[in-house]
Amino acid sequence: MSRDIYLPQMARIEKIIPENPQIKTFVLCFVDEDFNSSFSYEPGQFMMVSVPHCGEAPISFSSTPTRPGNIELSVRLAGKLTGAMHELRLGDLVGLRGPFGTPFTMDKLSDRNLLFVAGGIGLAPLRGVINYCLDKGGYGKITLLYGSRAPDDIAFSADIKLWQKKGIDCQLSVDTAAEGWNGHVGVVTTLLAGLEIENPKSSLLCGPPIMIKFCLPELSKMGFTDKEIITTMERHMKCGIGVCGHCYLDNKLVCVDGPVFDLAQLKAH
Amino acid sequence: MNGFILKKDNLVPLLRKLRKGGRLVAPVQNRHGDTMFTAIEDFDRQHIDLKNQAQASLKPFFFPQEEPLYTYQNKKGYDFKPVNSSEPTIFFGLRSCDLTAILYMDVIFSQKSPDPFYFERRREAVLISLGCSRPFANCFCNNSRSGPFLEYGFDLQFTDLGHCFFVEADRARGEELLERWSCYFTPATEEDCRNKYQVVLEARSSFKQTVHVDQAIKKLTADIDLESIWKELSSRCQDCGGCAYICPTCTCFTIVDQPVDDTHGTRLRQWDSCTFAGFTRMAGGHNPVDYADHAIRRRFLHKLKTDVEKHGRPSCVGCGRCVGICFGGVDMIRFIKMVNELPAEEGK
Repeated sequence: MSRDIYLPQMARIEKIIPENPQIKTFVLCFVDEDFNSSFSYEPGQFMMVSVPHCGEAPISFSSTPTRPGNIELSVRLAGKLTGAMHELRLGDLVGLRGPFGTPFTMDKLSDRNLLFVAGGIGLAPLRGVINYCLDKGGYGKITLLYGSRAPDDIAFSADIKLWQKKGIDCQLSVDTAAEGWNGHVGVVTTLLAGLEIENPKSSLLCGPPIMIKFCLPELSKMGFTDKEIITTMERHMKCGIGVCGHCYLDNKLVCVDGPVFDLAQLKAH
Repeated sequence: MNGFILKKDNLVPLLRKLRKGGRLVAPVQNRHGDTMFTAIEDFDRQHIDLKNQAQASLKPFFFPQEEPLYTYQNKKGYDFKPVNSSEPTIFFGLRSCDLTAILYMDVIFSQKSPDPFYFERRREAVLISLGCSRPFANCFCNNSRSGPFLEYGFDLQFTDLGHCFFVEADRARGEELLERWSCYFTPATEEDCRNKYQVVLEARSSFKQTVHVDQAIKKLTADIDLESIWKELSSRCQDCGGCAYICPTCTCFTIVDQPVDDTHGTRLRQWDSCTFAGFTRMAGGHNPVDYADHAIRRRFLHKLKTDVEKHGRPSCVGCGRCVGICFGGVDMIRFIKMVNELPAEEGK
């Protein structure tokens, strides 16, 4: 980490992948080559992204550190900064600070069957974890439940196709069907009914608060203990290092104590 | 204790000498009658006021209400240049609560790695405190263990003995000052030490407020149901942020970009407050905190529970300023009294 903890490092946009009408994945490379080659991070961490005149916002890695060289941030168009970011083009620069936050403890997940549950942009941080598992190996059976509002909103389709080829059980659901959709309709939690995951197992969730809320009791019913239910949270943040106060969650600060928490940690306050 | 005596006639001559080593900041009463920490430019025209509590603490001198962190440009590339604004400063006449608050800020601004902007100012600061022989109307530092006199943390601590000041050093920088300006000081006699002790004892017994901070902390730690208090106080909160701004230990901030033109701008850090509804609101509008009922929950729990767990002491220093500033009566004394009035058996 640089001496000046608030000073962004410049990064160039190498590629822009439109994932759906609201989400773009930005493939980024630090301008300083030495910095770029020594930069490392872990799945679940995030960067503070600067866009000219827009300040900074926290964005999770959607890439995996097992594929070094550049990093990927998937951004949903939600406000001023993300709006400006969606206007950027190849070769444009953004500022990056980080990596920040407590990552997923990937070591503790090895040999376990993993159930990923994602809603919307929530698949972005889990995408990095799934690719990490595939690259490293040594993890059990992987199942992905992914919910979107409508078929057009399904993001990361290319990844999902690739994951299916590699043996991941990917089950998609949409809240509202459209013509030509033959898949499951309903909130993603409905996919949990009838699903059986063998022990040892862990579940990794990321999605809107309402999705998390409805998943928790279902997962408990399926036999996941509190420590086996892991989520990554989204909060308003300004510093990323546990000072500015914006991301408080009871006695915790999501930027340093999280964003990855297991349910046991969330219940203890 | 190695104490020294400074005659009151020698105070201004000493301060004149100290001012040659940097900016001198002391409590000054302005022509409106307000006492504020102010840089001394002219000893003859500025009245150093050691009788009244300064309206604001020293917080803004270390952590300004608004400060430029960087200037940036995106005309050729996109880059940031740090803005440095610090000068050696001697702070005279700060009280024990304000000094305790600075020691707390030292901890907060070194969480992951030292905050360069804060510590640049902190390194260049000499802190000469004045113990409170006569506590002010809303003070309860004896209950929050941050006064009226301190054992450590100051460079020099002054005690008003009536006809003279008793002066003691805690840090090397204070010792150096005593040595360098030894012509103004005489070693304290045993009688001076006894007098000082007497002043401290009298000060401790002359507080007008009794606020049972420890009892409230104990109840908060036991997780009693506080919903009724949150609702009542949140409905009285007018969302002005005055409590956070005046509080010597409220350090929450926001960072924003202020464009100068299309391709240049300044990245600013500004005070923020957890009582503002926008504090936790995310892009897209979702807010994880229900401000109607919980606007002030974070403020009190952070100071009396979270910081006790994290840092071993509450971050309220008992200065009483929030009591004076809030027109809704949502202050620390009111909150602590409400908590202590709740029956203990409501604990889980």
